Order: sequence, then C-alpha cells, then structure tokens
Amino acid sequence: MSLLRALTQSRLWALILKEIRQILRNRQIIFLLLFPPTIQLLVFGLALNPAVNHLSLGVTDYSRSPDSREFVASLVANDVFEIASFQPSVAELGQEVRTGQISTGLVIPPDFAENLAMGKPVDVQVLIDGVDANTAGIASGYIQQTINRYGQSLRDLPALPVDIAVRFLYNPGLLSSWFFVPGVIGVVLTLTGSLVSSTTVIREKDVGTLEQLLMTPAMGWEILAAKIAPLFVVLMGDVLLASALGRFVFGLPFRGNYFLFLALSGVYIFVCIGIGILLATISRTQQQVVLTSFFFNVPLIQLSGAIAPIESMPPFFRVLSFFDPLRHYVTIARSLILKGTSFAVLWPEVLTLLVFAALFLGVSIRLFRAQLA
Amino acid sequence: MTATAPRVTPQTATAIAVHQLRKQYGPLAALKGIDFTVQPGEIFGLIGPDGAGKTTTFQILAGVMEATAGEVTVLGKAPRHARLDLGYVTQKFSLYPDLSIEENMRYAAGLRRVSATAFGERARTLLQRVSLDQFRDRLAGQLSGGMKQKLALCCALVAQPQILLLDEPTTGVDPVSRREFWDLLAAVAADGVTVVAATPYLDEAERCHRIALIYAGEIQQIGTLGELRDSLGLRRMEVRATPLAQAEAALRRFHAEGSLPGGEGTGADLPAPQAERGGMRDPAIVDVQTFGDRLDVMVTEAAAGERAIRAALADPALTLTDVRLDEPTLENVFVNRLRQRGLDPAYVDFPAYRSGKEKGGTAIHTRQLQKTFGDFQAVKGVDITVRYGEIYGLLGANGAGKTTTIKMLCGLLPASGGDIQLAGATDNLNRSEVRSRIGYMSQKFTLYDDLTIRQNLEFYCGVYGVPPQLRREKIDWVLETCGLVGRENLITGSLPGGWKQRVSFGASVMHEPDILFLDEPTSGVDPLARRQFWRLIRDFARRGTAILVTTHYLEEAENCNAMAFMVAGAIVAQGSPSDIKTSQPGQLIELRSRQIQAASDLLKARLEPWRVSIFGDRLHLVLDHPDEELATVRHWLDSAQIDQPSTRPIPFSLEDAFIGIVQRAEAS
Repeated sequence: MSLLRALTQSRLWALILKEIRQILRNRQIIFLLLFPPTIQLLVFGLALNPAVNHLSLGVTDYSRSPDSREFVASLVANDVFEIASFQPSVAELGQEVRTGQISTGLVIPPDFAENLAMGKPVDVQVLIDGVDANTAGIASGYIQQTINRYGQSLRDLPALPVDIAVRFLYNPGLLSSWFFVPGVIGVVLTLTGSLVSSTTVIREKDVGTLEQLLMTPAMGWEILAAKIAPLFVVLMGDVLLASALGRFVFGLPFRGNYFLFLALSGVYIFVCIGIGILLATISRTQQQVVLTSFFFNVPLIQLSGAIAPIESMPPFFRVLSFFDPLRHYVTIARSLILKGTSFAVLWPEVLTLLVFAALFLGVSIRLFRAQLA
Repeated sequence: MTATAPRVTPQTATAIAVHQLRKQYGPLAALKGIDFTVQPGEIFGLIGPDGAGKTTTFQILAGVMEATAGEVTVLGKAPRHARLDLGYVTQKFSLYPDLSIEENMRYAAGLRRVSATAFGERARTLLQRVSLDQFRDRLAGQLSGGMKQKLALCCALVAQPQILLLDEPTTGVDPVSRREFWDLLAAVAADGVTVVAATPYLDEAERCHRIALIYAGEIQQIGTLGELRDSLGLRRMEVRATPLAQAEAALRRFHAEGSLPGGEGTGADLPAPQAERGGMRDPAIVDVQTFGDRLDVMVTEAAAGERAIRAALADPALTLTDVRLDEPTLENVFVNRLRQRGLDPAYVDFPAYRSGKEKGGTAIHTRQLQKTFGDFQAVKGVDITVRYGEIYGLLGANGAGKTTTIKMLCGLLPASGGDIQLAGATDNLNRSEVRSRIGYMSQKFTLYDDLTIRQNLEFYCGVYGVPPQLRREKIDWVLETCGLVGRENLITGSLPGGWKQRVSFGASVMHEPDILFLDEPTSGVDPLARRQFWRLIRDFARRGTAILVTTHYLEEAENCNAMAFMVAGAIVAQGSPSDIKTSQPGQLIELRSRQIQAASDLLKARLEPWRVSIFGDRLHLVLDHPDEELATVRHWLDSAQIDQPSTRPIPFSLEDAFIGIVQRAEAS
C-alpha cells in the first residue's frame, strides 16, 4: 500500500499521468490506433493474392483436328487459362499479345495430329507476355507441366518410378491470407507504433513545452518511460484488435500459446516505440519526422518478408534482412499463429528483438537531453 | 492599380461600425453588447486587461469568427465580404519561416492580386521605412521577434488595405522596434488607412486618436487621450523619493479611504502598521502607483495634493527629491479605473516551506561565456554575477542574445566557450539535483494547452517533487493569485496569452526554487497583473531566491538590483538602475506639442535618430548642450509650421537609457 502511495507521488507518476491525460484528450491518436490498422489488415488480407488464374489465352490452331482440340481443352481444364480468342494466323495472335489483349498465345502447327499419330515429337509454339515476370513464369511452368502430362497420357507410359506426393503442412488449404495476415500484423504494429510514439514526442518540441520539460528535474529516461507506458498499453490494444480480425475474419488458427504471442508482440511494440522516439529525437519538426519515418518504414517492410518472400531476394538483401526487426517479428508471428512453435525454438528471434529495443531506446535516452542544441 | 493611383477610400463614410455586438462561448459571455465606430484614417486603440474580449472583437471584425448577435459593418459591408480590404496582424507570427523577407511579401501581395510593378515599388518603400531593406534575402525564420512583427505589418500593408487590424502586434518587441512600428502606423494612417490596434503597452496606446477601455466584455469608456484624462478628474503628482518602497508605504497610509482595494506595489511589501491607518488619511490623495523609479500619486487638487504628499513624506528616514505636477497618463487612467472596479488581482502570500538560501552568496556566475551558431556569434564573452536574494535584469533588443544566454545558464544549450557556475556547480549543470533547485519560465508559453489548468499545475507539482501534502495549498495559491478559482478545469489552451503567462509563472515557482530564470515573464500581461507579478518576484528575492529576468517593459526593470544591457551578443553597460541612468550622456528634454508625430519625423531627420523618441504623447530629446540646441530645434519646428512646443528638462528613465544605449551601440 505504501509502495503504491510512493508510486503515485513520484515524479514518474506525474509524468505518466500527464501522458495519459493528453492521449485521452487527443482524438487524432485514438483514430490512428483504430482505423488504419483495421483497414490495412483487411486490404492486405483480402486483396493480396499471389495465385495466378484466369489468364487469357489466345489460340491459333493450324491443325484443326480432334487431337488439337483435346490438347487445348486439357490446358483450360482448370481455371489457370481461359480462352479469350481464336486467331486465324500467328501474325494476328502476335498482335494480340503485343496489344495486351491476351497474355499467352498458343500456336498449334498443321502437322500436329499427323506427328502425334506417328509418334514423332511435336512442337507447339507459346507466346508469353513477359512484362509481368511473375505471371509469365507461372504461365510458362504451367504450360510445360500440362504438355508433359499430355504427352505421358498419350504414350500410356507407366507412372514415373518416383512419384511426389506433396502434403502441405500448417496451411493445408494453401490460403495465401494465412501467409499474409501474420506478416501484416507486424507491418501494422510497425507503422502505427512508430507514428504514434514519434508524434507524442515531436509535439512537445513543436509547441515548445519540451524546453520546460527538460528544465524540470525529470531524467531523460523518466520522460521517455512516461511516454512509453501508456503507448504500450494502447498498442497492445492494437495487437488484440489485429489478432481478433485475424481470428474471426481470416480464420487464422493461432496454434501456439496465445499469451506467448501477446508477450512477444509486446516485445516488438517496444522496438516500434523505440523507432518512433528515436526518429522524433533526431528530427526538428513534425514534417521532418513524418518524412524520415517513410524513409525507414518502407525498406523495413520490404525487407521483412511480410509481403515478398525473403528466399527470393538477392543474397545481399537476404543478409540485410537480418538487421530488420520486423523480419524477426514476422517469423515469430507466423510460427506462433500457423505452426504452434514453442518458445524454445523462437528464442533467437526474441533475443534479437530485445537487443533492438534496448538499442533504440538507449540511443534515444542518450540523445534526448542534447536534442535542443 | 499602381502605387501612385489615388486611394479609393470613402473619406466621409464610417470605416467600421459596431452595434450591440455580442459573443457567447458556451456559458461564457465574451462580449456583452459593445458599440463603437471608427472613422477613416483614424487610429483606434482597444485597451483592457487579459480576457476582456479584445481578441474576440478583432476576430469578428476580421470576418474569421461569427458574432452571436449584433451588427458589424466594415466599409459598409459584412466583415466577411470586406476581407480583401483588410490587413490583420496578430501576436502570433503569420509568416512562412522558410521564405525570405521578400518572398513572404511577394506571397502576401500575390494573395491579394497586387501587380508585379506595384509590388516592387511598395515593397521597397515599406521595407525602407522599417529599416528591413538590407535584409531582403534573409529567411523570416531567422529574424528577431521585432523584425518579424515589422515584416508582418509590411505584408499586411503591401496590398494597401483600407483597414488594418492589429491585435497586440508588438507584444514581446523591444522599445526601439516598437517605436519604429508605430512610426510606420502613424504614416499609413496619415495616408487614410484606418487602424484598430490593441496593445498591452499603454505608452503606445497614447499615440491612438481615440481609445476604448474595455473590460469584462463591455466598453467602459471611449474618448481621446485628453477626454479619458479629464474624466478621471484627478491630477498626477510625479514624486521622486528614496527609498521608494518606504515612500510608497507612507503615502499609502495617507490615501483616502476606500479608493484602494487590495493594495499593491513596493510599499505593500512592508508590513503595514494597521494601527496607523486610522487618523492620518488625507482625502487629497486618491491613488498611489509605482512607475519605474517614481511614484505617480493621483490627487484631487494640485496644491492640497502637494501639501498632503509633503506631510506624508515628512519622515527623516525618507528623502523627497522632487514633486512635480503633470497630467495623468493613460496607464494612470487604466489602473485607477480597474482598481475602482475591484479588478486588482488578489495578493496572497506564497505558502513557503523551505528556508531559502542565505542572501549574498553567488548563485550564478559566468566568465567569458560564448556561443556560436555556425559562423554567427550569438553571445560574445558575457560576464554576469547574480547573488541569492538579488533580481538581475538582462535587457536588450530582440535578437541581442538574452535568451541564448539564459538557455546556456540553464544547461539547455551547451556553451561554445567560457565558464558557468550555477548553484555551486561548475560542470554537468543539467544534473537532476541542480535542476530541481531551479525555476524556469521560457518565453513561449510553457503549459500544456490540451490539459486543464489544474492538471497542468498537478503535473508541475509532481515533476518537481513538491511534497504531496503541500500540493493542494500551492495549487490553490496559483489559482487565487491568477484569479482563476472556480475555473481550474478550463482547458489551458482557451486562456488568453497574458493569463497563461501568470499560470506559467505559478507553475515555475511552486517548488520554491533557489534560482529563478524568467524570460519575458510579463510580456502580454495587463498593467495591473504586471504590478502583481513584480510584487511576487520581489517576495521571492526577499526570501533569498536569485532571479535572472528579461523584460521589454523598462519601467519594470527598475525593480532589478542590477542589470546588464546586451547589444549584438555583448554586454555594453552593466550596473544598478541608477548607475545606468546617471551614466547617460547629455540632458534629456521633454517636448510637448500637438503635432508630436510630425515633430518626431522632422527631428529624426535632422538629429541622430537615437536622440529622438516618442513617449506616449510627448517627445524625448537628448541634447548635449540644451541651452543652445533648443533654440535651433524650435527654429526647425517653426519653419516646418509645427506649433511651438513646451519643453522641460527631465531625468533619464531606463527606457530613455535603453533607446540611447542600444541605438548608439548599433550605430558604431
């Protein structure tokens, strides 16, 4: 009891109380905490889908035989391709690819049926619009695969000696949203956490109260701790909000211990607040802090693997991504939400996050007093 | 429209007409039905205490706020439709800090569609008039406060508005720049521009053609300076006596009953012997006000008044050096009217619990203190010593380096060179223990606008570690002193500037600091509250607090025990107020004429500019050999058909000294 009284009469408490009162009166912060995270989660989760289907296919069939029609039918059997047009000549087909009306063109030679019947190799020509490299790769791979299977079925060959039976673990339905949403939770925490914490610090500088605050006996760490404490609570609210959306809108499984997920998200929030406060400490105006946070946040998100897989990055960036705190949080979030990994496996990531938090906050505290000079 | 085209001013019509204007903010009535009219070419002054409704009036006149009721016409139109013909300058700078002087003016002109040719001509003349023309390319953000305000005025004038609304534009501006500002106003009014101005500097307000005294949302009086003076029905006796504090106390014990509620000023610092109050009153003395180094005693009649004064000061411990009769000043009118209304802020003894430092010990000491920003030397070798129990004034024009010096002393800015000793510490000045013994009130408002007044005070109590059982008492003291009891749950941002200053002061002293830094504490504060401010400051000094203060009200600076004048980062004069005044060269002549502006413009062109300055409705002239030179001056005025002035030699005030010192140092 006397401990509690000592706390409520301390300098730190006076600072914390002031921060809480300011946050409660600031509608802008409450808006920032609720709307952008919700919108970002919904947009990323629902709209971002890397699977390729309904590609438009144009066909020039010089063979005009039952075999060629069967071959085309096998290509469009599942929805990857959709026939958009039949063209009488290669020239016209090429024109359609050039103008972007179709993304893939297929040319079947006149001797297609004869060669097949004689068991000779058959050449078909495929024109692919390579502008969207990713889609082009998938289309090419898919056509290759279909042709192989078609060839096998023609020759009535026995099944290959080695058959691959793939079983997808953790995300059996291969829902891309399951992959994205845990990453986007990390993105949302990064953006909101750094923005909200930098505005509460920079506001004091803009209005001029910082000078007065620095003249009080309050220590740099006390001022910052008082700013962090209420922000930590409200940002944990954002974690709850984001995980509720993940659970109920996207049906994420949350296989790991939820309290562990909350605790480790808490660690990451310290990192985000650290980024925000550090940026605000080295910036002079609100405008400057917004611009610099753009400069930092975009590469932070790109390198994290939240949206694009790290494995496909060039080696240099793969190494660089280890210095991205978001990468480690995304790993933690995916492991806990989708796989149910235990802490025993995740501790290197947790340790890294703790180092980042200590680094950012430590540097901020050191610079805090000298920032007016 | 070119610069030389005739102005389309409706010379006969009324420029501004206000009838039964009301404004309600929720339950608070800011304006309770005011009426006034302003004629074209008139300078109309609006004066009143903080929170009287001045800013509200300006916002309605400028068309940026709607009235709750009443009629307002500006140039015969609703204010909103007259906006193109209005210039509006407020306390806050409306400039773009990252544009240069010229770019700011060009932008302001572009908004009002001034043609490029007209702009070039006007910009040059305006900038020349306020001596900003050599800084055209300097960024507005790098200008001093006084320069910014002059630029803001130029930006408003470049579109040649027919009406100029000025809401305390000179707050926090040094005396020299303030005079330049008003010289320009007088010139544009002479060209037919209508000016409505509010100012907390009542000597400036005396330059208005007509003045309205407003308080509590009502206009109490409107008239010319002469009419306001006459309405008082009193004479003013200027009394110079030493020691001033005891003299005031003695006079106060003599004043007529009932006219002095509360009681204020130097004298009241002394324990007033209540027993004596009974039989010694003289009805001739109505009011006693401290003004710089003299007392203004308001008396009903000259001869009886002088007798009463001499009788009151017939104490052998007092030396009466001078008594002279004069007309009341606007400040006398203002203070007297407000006191009659019982608006003198309450004086409550500060609840002190710590035993202060022993007086006389060194609190602040600097040796060759320096600060450079890039290649700009902001502070050049400053030596200052402030002792416990001493009030030390740091005076100088805007941008002279006062605030930079204070920030270095506080440890907010690292010094580029020199030594600082603060509260016994010589290094690591920003340790928490050192800071907890310091009170600091910066130039900007230091309260959180989004918290209530009480929450702000609770915060500062907590952060300075005021013992919990004393907090309530200290907070109540601030609220009572500021007259905010019952309003402590207002959002601080909604308070007028002067009031915020008072709360900030309270917030910075609740922990009973040993050393107090006050950077323009009274800027924008009304005259009555300023007197209360200084009474509190003197209280703290008497308890042993060392106080370093900056101010642009030079008559306040008389309260300092010692002072230093800074020009361009260096100290050019140092000493007690009387040392400073006696070291001034030449003899000061007060010159009275009905054409004071014209006389000033003429003499400034003929003499060195620092020798001539307007004080209210008079001119102060520094002459080395008044006997011969006065004849020449009279001759000049005569040939310019300015009526023959009456002149008399007067002692230097600190403000005269300031103008002389600053301008001479800048000229050399």
